[in-house]
Amino acid sequence: MKKANLTHWFSSYSTIIILTVPMLIMAGLTDLFAGSLLIRIVTALFVSMVVVLGMQVFMGNSGILAWAHVGFMGIGAYISSICSMTPTTKEIAIPQIYPFLLNLHFSFIPSLLVGALVAVVIAAIISYPLMRLSDTTAAISSFALLIIINTVLIHWDKVTNGPRTLFGIEELTTVWTAVFSAILILIFAYLFKESSLGLKLRASRDDYHAAQAMGINITQVRYYSFVIGAGIASFGGGLFAHYITSFTPSAFYMAETFNILTMLVVGGTMGVSGAVIGTIVVTFAREGLRAVENFINLNHVLPFDVVGLTEVLLATALILILIFRPEGILGGREFRWMPKKSAKKKIEEPASVQVNE
Amino acid sequence: MLHVENLKVRYGAITAVHDVSLEVKEGELVALIGVNGAGKTTTLSAIAGVVKTVSGSIYFEGQSIVGKSPEAILKLGVAVVPEQRDIFPSLTVEENLHMGAFSRHNHREYLADLKETFILFPILEERFQQLGGTLSGGEQQQLAIARSIMAHPKLLVLDEPSLGLAPKIVDQIFSLIVTLRTRGSTILLVEQNVNRTLDIADRVYLINNGRVEIQGTPDQLRSQGAIKDIYLGK
Repeated sequence: MKKANLTHWFSSYSTIIILTVPMLIMAGLTDLFAGSLLIRIVTALFVSMVVVLGMQVFMGNSGILAWAHVGFMGIGAYISSICSMTPTTKEIAIPQIYPFLLNLHFSFIPSLLVGALVAVVIAAIISYPLMRLSDTTAAISSFALLIIINTVLIHWDKVTNGPRTLFGIEELTTVWTAVFSAILILIFAYLFKESSLGLKLRASRDDYHAAQAMGINITQVRYYSFVIGAGIASFGGGLFAHYITSFTPSAFYMAETFNILTMLVVGGTMGVSGAVIGTIVVTFAREGLRAVENFINLNHVLPFDVVGLTEVLLATALILILIFRPEGILGGREFRWMPKKSAKKKIEEPASVQVNE
Repeated sequence: MLHVENLKVRYGAITAVHDVSLEVKEGELVALIGVNGAGKTTTLSAIAGVVKTVSGSIYFEGQSIVGKSPEAILKLGVAVVPEQRDIFPSLTVEENLHMGAFSRHNHREYLADLKETFILFPILEERFQQLGGTLSGGEQQQLAIARSIMAHPKLLVLDEPSLGLAPKIVDQIFSLIVTLRTRGSTILLVEQNVNRTLDIADRVYLINNGRVEIQGTPDQLRSQGAIKDIYLGK
């Protein structure tokens, strides 16, 4: 019976192993054999995966469309960059910077954590009233929040250098830091989903009123997961900043929101496996389409240039997925190792555990 | 155990419940019957704290529960199984049952409850790892009831448990209610299925147009013949 229990335990956590091992192999192969372009693509993939997983934590479990997520990614990108840049660089990159920010200087990981912490604090302060809203109103208010964050990023010259490009950030995000961050967040997101908080949240997604009737404070569970999701997005934003090394506030607006949302929706919002698969599929689809687009334009395959082919096809693919597989490629299921035994035996487990006690 | 006095509930301009008074004593199976729109479900919603009352009082174990949140009322021991069953379709049967046990933190007790549940609802043991949404209507109803029982309510409120189920399954649900009753649960049952309800209830309130029209034991109601008047018109 102990063994049956262990098998059950292993089966529930097999998802993590099934997802992380290929990710590590992918990172390893890339590091060993790939050229610089592919290394860039794979690194970007894992950075995106962190943000997508952060979105899954909130949106996947609560069922509420989260527009503001990428705004928090932006907050993380700016704060972590300010933390990691040397005062000398900062003086040039952000001429009007506040004196107290000028002398801040941390190494890479602490900078990422400070970025995440700032986003957590901001989310904790502003998001509670929003969590009372559901469906369309929740989506629209979250969209409004994205606009507010973006506007602040554009106009706060003394922190972000305004709408101008922020440059001079060291390239510290390697394929290995990216993959280990993604794995860490993946484990976290999976455990969150299976935790009692995650279960309550998933119940509220399925049926708001029934969950309320079960005694769940829905506003509160949504609030916790929103704040956690914002922290993860911000952490991902920090990784992004130290990968791309120069950016403007517009990097964290509609286009990126669409990108992240596509990845999550294509894979399936309701599962961690969906977030991982969606990120991989969309990243490679985009790069593939981009290569095709460039090939067509450079070799004059068609009598005219195709511009924006990648975006149009990706958006079309998203529409098709929403029509034919609205729950994403994986439909919310997780990869899971299932022990080969009869259904009957599996059911007896809880009872037999009871007998032992 | 539960005292409702002169309850009045309004949805905007429409008064759904004008004046309902009822009582449930410990160990009783009390039924509310009445035609569609009579105000039965609204009365339950008021008891559960889901809708606001205009006037009247609701006491549970001597404590006023008017204005309390649904969570607080649940914690006091009133569990409602809603009309639409409201199980969580994308959660497994196991997770659904776990939802009912949140008010209790002891894992050992949870497992004991689970074992108990499997005796009452053997089908749930078979479906343990299946998603709630893949169960049939009758199975979902059993799951909804089982989930409420996991919370060890002092008062179990069932809103039309037979709604939309095949006659054979309705039989199962009613015999289940009888089993729960003989095991000592206190139950407030709302039903449209009048004859079946009169067969099993201790006392019955007949609600019409938001008022209690008649109350008494099933035999008293049957002998008065008022049921036919209300259901079929005078």
